Amino acid sequence: MSLEIEGLEKHFGDVRAVAGVDLAVGRGEFFTLLGPSGCGKTTILRVIAGIYPADRGRVRLGGVDVTEAPIHARNMALVFQNYALFPHLTVFENVAFGLRMRRLAREEIRRRGREALELVRLGALAERYPDQLSGGQQQRVSLARALVIRPDLLLLDEPLSNLDARLREEMRGEIRELQRRLGVTTVLVTHDIQEAFAMSDRVAVLEAGRILQTGRPAELYLSPASRFVANFVGPTNEVALAAVRTVADGALATTADGLAIKVAARPGTDAGGKAAWLMIRPENLRLFVAEGETDNRYEALVEDVVYLGAATSCRLAIGALRLTAVVPSAIGARLVPGALVAVGWSAEDGVIGHDR
Amino acid sequence: MTAEAAPRARSRMERAGWLFVLPLALVLATGYVWPLFQAGVNSFHPNTPQGIDLGHWTAANYAKLLDPLYQSILERTLRISLIVSAITAVLAYPVAFFIVRLKPKVQPWLILVYVSPWLVNTVVKSFGWSLLLRSNGVINTTLQHLGLIDAPLHLMLNETGVIIALVPGHFMFVLLPLWAAASGLDPNLKWAAGTLGAPPWQIFLRVTLPLTLPSLIAGLVINFTMNMTAFAAPAILGGVRARTVSFLAFQVNLEQLNWPLGGAIAVGLLAFTLAVVWGGQRLAFLAVRSGRTRP
Repeated sequence: MSLEIEGLEKHFGDVRAVAGVDLAVGRGEFFTLLGPSGCGKTTILRVIAGIYPADRGRVRLGGVDVTEAPIHARNMALVFQNYALFPHLTVFENVAFGLRMRRLAREEIRRRGREALELVRLGALAERYPDQLSGGQQQRVSLARALVIRPDLLLLDEPLSNLDARLREEMRGEIRELQRRLGVTTVLVTHDIQEAFAMSDRVAVLEAGRILQTGRPAELYLSPASRFVANFVGPTNEVALAAVRTVADGALATTADGLAIKVAARPGTDAGGKAAWLMIRPENLRLFVAEGETDNRYEALVEDVVYLGAATSCRLAIGALRLTAVVPSAIGARLVPGALVAVGWSAEDGVIGHDR
Repeated sequence: MTAEAAPRARSRMERAGWLFVLPLALVLATGYVWPLFQAGVNSFHPNTPQGIDLGHWTAANYAKLLDPLYQSILERTLRISLIVSAITAVLAYPVAFFIVRLKPKVQPWLILVYVSPWLVNTVVKSFGWSLLLRSNGVINTTLQHLGLIDAPLHLMLNETGVIIALVPGHFMFVLLPLWAAASGLDPNLKWAAGTLGAPPWQIFLRVTLPLTLPSLIAGLVINFTMNMTAFAAPAILGGVRARTVSFLAFQVNLEQLNWPLGGAIAVGLLAFTLAVVWGGQRLAFLAVRSGRTRP
């Protein structure tokens, strides 16, 4: 079911955990709240689930206002970071818990419980207790326990952060696959950018209780609306700009040193007199470019070279300006500190932003 | 420390550990185990006007315990103890969960409030209760002034008085373990149950209660044992109408000076209390286990 949140606010004492949040999640969509710890993302999730009451604002599920509905009457399922399996119940009884609460017939509980366990490939462990399972298995039990009630909304609170790196990647794909197959509307809370990007249809980036930007992962990465988003979703080069002039096919930006940079036209490019900056992702810088090959081309001094395996990172100096470029190691192998190289980038790859 | 030195050092520490236990072990051995053993030995000898006849062995003292009078006293003691334990169990849950929700700094102070009755001498406490509970005591005069009752309520010199005094007196033995268990409960469990559709009473019944049951039982075992052996409260507030086994043992031992019968009463009370505690624990664990494996 679709989810809409309108003007949500939540305070804890003097702390404003959620400071006016609006969002809309479409039916069957995988939506992620992404942000650093303390940004209010978990609080939003708990308000949606009914664990915390909202101080202000409305929560609507499938068009129905559930803001005042008690936690047990919302038909949402929540998967916790620590899984929160009932330690005194078997795997099967954990999964069957929600079905028992719905007072289903014994046969149906058995059938649907079994089905849910098969769905996460844990049919053989039904009689075990949670403390006899590995972290990944516990995670899958908690997923089965959540999905078995056929929730209108699936809420995932940092579900993968207690798993090791390889398992995390595996579960990422597994959860995404299940979500698509069942078509359940899902809200994920995470601080892990890769997790958010790999799993989500859309992502909202939060800071200090507000949503800074909502969009598809590629949108956030390539067209961040603010400096915070640009830095949070990936490494970036920040270039302080002295002036931005609109020209026929975009804008011409100038640094304090007088370096001119061509930037493609984009909404929000006009700084309107505010301090502006240019963002370029390190992998968008190209080295050894010929004259006229890219929109922007400069002579740069190689200051430092760091080999990262498949890629090589190098620090470049264009006058007083410092940029980091990440290039395939085949190209990076030709770099030595102290050398002069031609560096360039497309006007499309630079994004102008301004401080709010 | 080398690998070879480690076990030697550990065994030295183990020996040192015994040294720490020794003083308490000595006190217990001389002050508790030896007198109990003596009472046990005495209980198998006949009593004569000249004193204990150590030359003869008999089981007659234990046969006397089957006397209907003694049986009724044991029954009353058991009844009072079970009622007090039951009231305590019901009251301790809300208190424990109320305290857990307070700020961590405040919690120990509230716990201190509930522990404080135990810090007051039981005799002093019982006389304090009698000021409140007697016919012309604070409670009865207040209720009469308010016109709520015509004649004073019989609040003491009966089982009611003993129960009223014992509930707060032995409350902490259940509250403390329950408070610890409640503090250790992961709030996510309760929220998980909630989102899965469990209303608050189901959360309590299916999550909170089973997870805190071992602590509750541990507390109730101590509470029940203390109730069975309480002396001052029954002696002062129970009177002759609500005599308990401990009061009977006092009369037989110190008023009648019949040590063999007194010993039999003491050993009987000990055995009976242990049996009830053991049986109760078995029942509780069976209940927990059957809850776990329900298909």
